[in-house]
Amino acid sequence: MAQPRISAYLPPDIDPTKAALAFGRRALPKLNEELQSPELLTQQRALMALCDLVHDPEKVYQAIALGFLDSLKTLLVHQDQTVRQKTTEVLSIMALHSIGREGLIRSGVISALAGLLDDPVDICRKNTHQTLDMLAKLPEGAGGVLQADLIPPLVLKLKTELDEIQELILDTLSNCLHVEVSKALAAGAVPVLKEKLSHPSTAIRSKAAWVLLEISSHAEGKIAVCEEEVIPELVRLLEDTQPEVQVNSAGALMFAIVTPQGRSSAMGAEAIPPLLALVAEETSKARLNAIKSLTLLAELPEGRKALLDHRATFQRCLEDPSEAVQRAAEIALDVIDWKP
Amino acid sequence: PSDMASDVPYSFCSQPRSVRPRPKYREQSNAAQTEKGPVRYCNIMVDPRVVRGNVLSVRPPPPQSTEPLSTLEVKRQRRAQKQLLARKLTQEEIQRRTPEPVKGREHVYVQTELYLEEISDRIIEIDGECQTDDFLDRPPTPLFIPAKTGTDVATQIEEGELFDFDIEVKPILEVLVGKTVEQALLEVMEEEELAQLWSHQRAFIELRNAEFAELQRLEEQDRRIREEKERRRLEHLEKLRKQKETAEKIAARAFAQRYLADLIPSVFNNLHNSGFFYDPVERDIETEFLPWLMSEVEETLQKKVLGRMMLDSLIRMVVEKRLDEFSHPPPSDQTEVPAEEPRATDAAPQVSDEADAADQPVAEKEETDQPFAEEE
Repeated sequence: MAQPRISAYLPPDIDPTKAALAFGRRALPKLNEELQSPELLTQQRALMALCDLVHDPEKVYQAIALGFLDSLKTLLVHQDQTVRQKTTEVLSIMALHSIGREGLIRSGVISALAGLLDDPVDICRKNTHQTLDMLAKLPEGAGGVLQADLIPPLVLKLKTELDEIQELILDTLSNCLHVEVSKALAAGAVPVLKEKLSHPSTAIRSKAAWVLLEISSHAEGKIAVCEEEVIPELVRLLEDTQPEVQVNSAGALMFAIVTPQGRSSAMGAEAIPPLLALVAEETSKARLNAIKSLTLLAELPEGRKALLDHRATFQRCLEDPSEAVQRAAEIALDVIDWKP
Repeated sequence: PSDMASDVPYSFCSQPRSVRPRPKYREQSNAAQTEKGPVRYCNIMVDPRVVRGNVLSVRPPPPQSTEPLSTLEVKRQRRAQKQLLARKLTQEEIQRRTPEPVKGREHVYVQTELYLEEISDRIIEIDGECQTDDFLDRPPTPLFIPAKTGTDVATQIEEGELFDFDIEVKPILEVLVGKTVEQALLEVMEEEELAQLWSHQRAFIELRNAEFAELQRLEEQDRRIREEKERRRLEHLEKLRKQKETAEKIAARAFAQRYLADLIPSVFNNLHNSGFFYDPVERDIETEFLPWLMSEVEETLQKKVLGRMMLDSLIRMVVEKRLDEFSHPPPSDQTEVPAEEPRATDAAPQVSDEADAADQPVAEKEETDQPFAEEE
């Protein structure tokens, strides 16, 4: 089988900023000792070499078995910014491997990363958030982030951080809020997200709508969303030009209008015409979510009256290639035709 | 040496060690190197290298013995020496292999090797001696340039003789470019796979969200219907309860009415009987007039009684007096008697004036009672 590299080892002294690697199995233990040395240059060079090594999953496994994470944790609070930057980079690359993720969660790196959220250097913060994002994709990681009580600081950071870091924070939040929502609501996440819905960047809008979707899939989240009057905003976003934003806002609506207050506020915001427009488009990804939202609205008498005229749209949905859309359209037709 | 060895408790010139057992087979060259197992100690009882028998039997006699030897011991020694000699001879005889020489012949030792050796007892010695000179100043060693030996040969590589660059570089370039392109392809495929996985996950998440929303919608519907049912049930229960209460009230009312229908007459009767309703005039008459009347009547009667009593006492007195007078004639007082008699007669007519005719029989009765009372 062809290997991407001819030799696993680069020629020696090709990069003077990196420490020299010992041969074979001795490479990582020697790097570990160098990381703990008191001299700054040695530590920096060792970190540069470690960054390159950590792309290989076997090296990640070996590193975690040797207990690299403890020395990396002490380096996270180093004064020198290069050390911190490289350490966070190493941790973010480790989090890309599944073994790395498990090891990071087990050794409690999450609480150590909590201290870096306020770091003055941008790259450190970005790497930290990347690490947290990858970790939160695992259920245990999301649980770890919740336990380390990181949600309130993350919500606060949403207001002040740079755009790309905000995207990472929104991803992390969406995965964590999938599990539990009360702390975020206590930290006032819904008003912050409501602001983000009007952000100029597409990615941030769609991700904020995604986080709102996750929040409103829980019962207390629904109540909070109705109280903060996010539903008119979401209805406005249904007419957005970008498809991802439409999909996510339709999904958030779908969950939020399950409660009676949500439904009445959606009717008040006249959600039916944009939702119908989304359903009518043949290739829209938001079709499924829009059909579900309309089903919910059809349970109200006014909604049913309005939708009785548009049954043809739903009939056309029955021929959609996706099976889920067909089923949703059938259910919608049932609900519209229901008589008390 | 003994002084030097005093600080060490025990020291040997050569450490005592046990002897290795005698190997059964000859040492093979390779076997000795490969295996060196644990050192086995041999049993000196069965080791053929250890001398058997009485090691003290052949002891050379000490040069000067302090005790004179007894004849017994001397004999024993001589006998032992003889035995030794005899054993030696027999051994030598057994060991000899070559037969005895034939008569008239002699055995001679002859060397049969290629090169003859001179065997002699005396070793050829040569004396040699040396002596160092006084140290002289040594001049520096001259530079050693070995003498030129051999022949000079020159060579030159002309262009195009060694290799053709364009032809030779091809396979190297192919490898380089191929590896790079393969690496790039691998990375692109990895990215594609990742994107595919992400889209798969996205689709799954969408489906899951849709199903979840459906579930919540149905839950909500179910909750509404259940609440509605509960409310209606409670209303119905309330209605039934109120109905029952009303019926009970009506029944109670009817019963109470019937029960108390003749309450009023009976109450009035009772009250009337106990005297709550009275005619005021009648009551007035009863309470005031009649008692007064009765008290007046009583007074009158008392007066009558008093009068009768007075009369009785008068009569008694008179009778007693007359009895006294008739018993012993007193000179006196016919005037007193008529004074009392008018008084009594005054009382009597008053009494008779006031009293009714109906009272007279009563007064007479009382009169008759009085004398009975007096007599008794």
